[in-house]
Amino acid sequence: MAVVADAGSLYGLLAVGAGLATGLAGIGAGMGEQGIGAAVVGVVAEEPGFLGKGLFLMLLPETLIIFGLAVSLILMFAWTPFAGIVTP
Amino acid sequence: MRLLHIVNYNGNQPQFEIGKPIGKAKEYSEDLIKLRSITRYLDLKNKAPDKTFPESQILSEMDNLLNNVGADVIATYERITAIEAEVKSKQDLIRSLTPLAVLPLPLESYHGYDSLATFVGTVATPIDADVARVSPVNEIYTGSAKNATQVAVFVPADKASEVSAVLSEHGFSETSVPKLEGNVDSAIAAQESSIKTLEAEKTPLLKKLADIKKQHEDLMLATDEYLSMQTQKTEAPLRFAETDNAFVIDGYIPSDQFSRLKSELESAAGGKLEVSLIADKEAEELVEKGEDVPTQMDNPSLVKPYELITKLFAIPEYKEFDPSLLIFVFFPIMFGMILGDVGYGIMIFLVLLLLKKKFRTPGWQQLINVVMIGSVWATIFGIFFGEIFGPLGLWGRIMGHLPEHEIELAKEAGLYFGEGVFGSLGRLGPLGIFPLDRLATNAVLLLIGTSIFIGVIHCSVGSILGIKTFLGYGEKKHAYFEKLPVLLFQVFLTIALLGLIMGQMWMVALGGIFILVSMVMLVMGPEGPMGLAHVPFYLSNLVSYLRLLAIGLASVGLAYAANQLAFYVIMPMLSGGAKDSAEFTTLAIIVGLLVLVSVHFINLLLGILSPFMHPLRLHYVEMFTKFYSNKGGGVEYSPFGHVRRFLKA
Repeated sequence: MAVVADAGSLYGLLAVGAGLATGLAGIGAGMGEQGIGAAVVGVVAEEPGFLGKGLFLMLLPETLIIFGLAVSLILMFAWTPFAGIVTP
Repeated sequence: MRLLHIVNYNGNQPQFEIGKPIGKAKEYSEDLIKLRSITRYLDLKNKAPDKTFPESQILSEMDNLLNNVGADVIATYERITAIEAEVKSKQDLIRSLTPLAVLPLPLESYHGYDSLATFVGTVATPIDADVARVSPVNEIYTGSAKNATQVAVFVPADKASEVSAVLSEHGFSETSVPKLEGNVDSAIAAQESSIKTLEAEKTPLLKKLADIKKQHEDLMLATDEYLSMQTQKTEAPLRFAETDNAFVIDGYIPSDQFSRLKSELESAAGGKLEVSLIADKEAEELVEKGEDVPTQMDNPSLVKPYELITKLFAIPEYKEFDPSLLIFVFFPIMFGMILGDVGYGIMIFLVLLLLKKKFRTPGWQQLINVVMIGSVWATIFGIFFGEIFGPLGLWGRIMGHLPEHEIELAKEAGLYFGEGVFGSLGRLGPLGIFPLDRLATNAVLLLIGTSIFIGVIHCSVGSILGIKTFLGYGEKKHAYFEKLPVLLFQVFLTIALLGLIMGQMWMVALGGIFILVSMVMLVMGPEGPMGLAHVPFYLSNLVSYLRLLAIGLASVGLAYAANQLAFYVIMPMLSGGAKDSAEFTTLAIIVGLLVLVSVHFINLLLGILSPFMHPLRLHYVEMFTKFYSNKGGGVEYSPFGHVRRFLKA
């Protein structure tokens, strides 16, 4: 069964999806970093030498956004697989 | 001499005792404490030295500084604190007097009764009738203050508890009455005038402290340095092992400096000492045992600033590879690739040149140098990307761009990489991809590939060093079954992906085979099947390098938005829909430029911060985890002695 959609609205939906992918990933990473950041500030206040390792731990969840971004990029630029389901 | 890294003797051998301080250690440390308390009163901060002093001058002036100037400072400081306390108590007094001003009573009438109970305070509701009910004999004065009613109630002492109960029903809260005499207003005025007198006394005292600080600042810091040196010197024996007749100093020294240390020590002690090296084999054993052998990082001056980034993470262990050189290679390139703008690059460079003169401490200098080298790379990448303050910025006006029809042609052929040109040279590179407009679809895809490519090289270097480090520790199993599979996995995963994109199935097959091999090796490794749990981490390592593209896109996007907003939205809008730049009104141009400058300024600040933080993360998380600091970091080589900053050598 072919899904009936015109190319314009399909592309619009892809754009919304891409936005959600990056945006929600960003929220998730932010929530992750919140706790780590607070803990790192606490540790660094006690022991300044821990700053580097603290940064390392704090930046770990950052990768989540990059995953979201990768999905967005695939949606925006490599959407040809979806073109087949568009009826002209 | 600052040569020997002394190892503290911990007193665990019965024939040796911990040494005792020599000479005037006690006096020196007492003087130091005295000086430190004076400098704290003066709020003296450590700073770059303006002038230096010979030791003889310190010695001759120290006594005067510590006793006369010091006593003066302490007395002045104490007087200032006393004045501040007095002013505060007077202010409290005024605060408690103010509500009483609405009552028509002099202050002495609140105190000194034997048969009368006094209640002074604020109430929420009128009290006259209720008080009269429990105590027919009473005297009530009422006055309304800002948001409450102030009352003074005088009743016979034997009715006090009943009246108190009645008052509390009306929300009574007591005001304390100071034991003073006379009119309330004049009492307040008297307190205020005495506060003024005290403040007037305080001002010259503060100025006196500032003057003393200005006059003796350098000398005090120099004396601090001298005393610190002396205490360090006289207390050094605490770190030595001692017998009745001799003492032993245990320490580390860079191998090439040994003969110098030996000859200098021998000449100083007149042959009464023995300097010897432990045998190489014995030294190896110490390293194996996990003894904290200090590490001295030794890099060329250009790489030196990057030691800061290494140290922030951990000091390399004695046998470990010092990654500063790798950071020097990769970090500025990553910084440049993310920022990639001629305008921003030059701006940051100039600002840092100014800051370099301001912040003279070694830490700041290193940091500034790191970013400075990065900003040079940002300028170079800016030329590749055709950006001067963003796309639509100055590039087109300085270097020109392609004619309209050629842009259309390129777009139709699917080979559109941007519209800028290198002046009369036109577009350069294969397919004319430079200058590369980073916001164009093709360019994004190209940069995704480039980012992953940089990632694979970066991670592979890390993995190879990891193998080398573990071999250095003699742990072959870790080297071949923990670090090698990571290298294989990441390299061949990329080859397989590349094959998929290029449609070369043999590359996919080859990649797949080696990925399987690497997984089998992980299972055989020290962690067993649990080793496979790390595979998603290795995959995400590579994806993480997409940030090189992503952060860059964000920065270009903001610059693009700034230009678009100023030149294509605000300026035409405020000029009543004018299309051509010649028709813009002056107001429109001013507002447009304001918006332009402020958005670019924000972007520039972000443009220093994020291109710094993210490559830092790529090094710490993606690279260092593969080889660095597996054993928790080393000890920095800190030779015994003191750097003279305020003292003449």
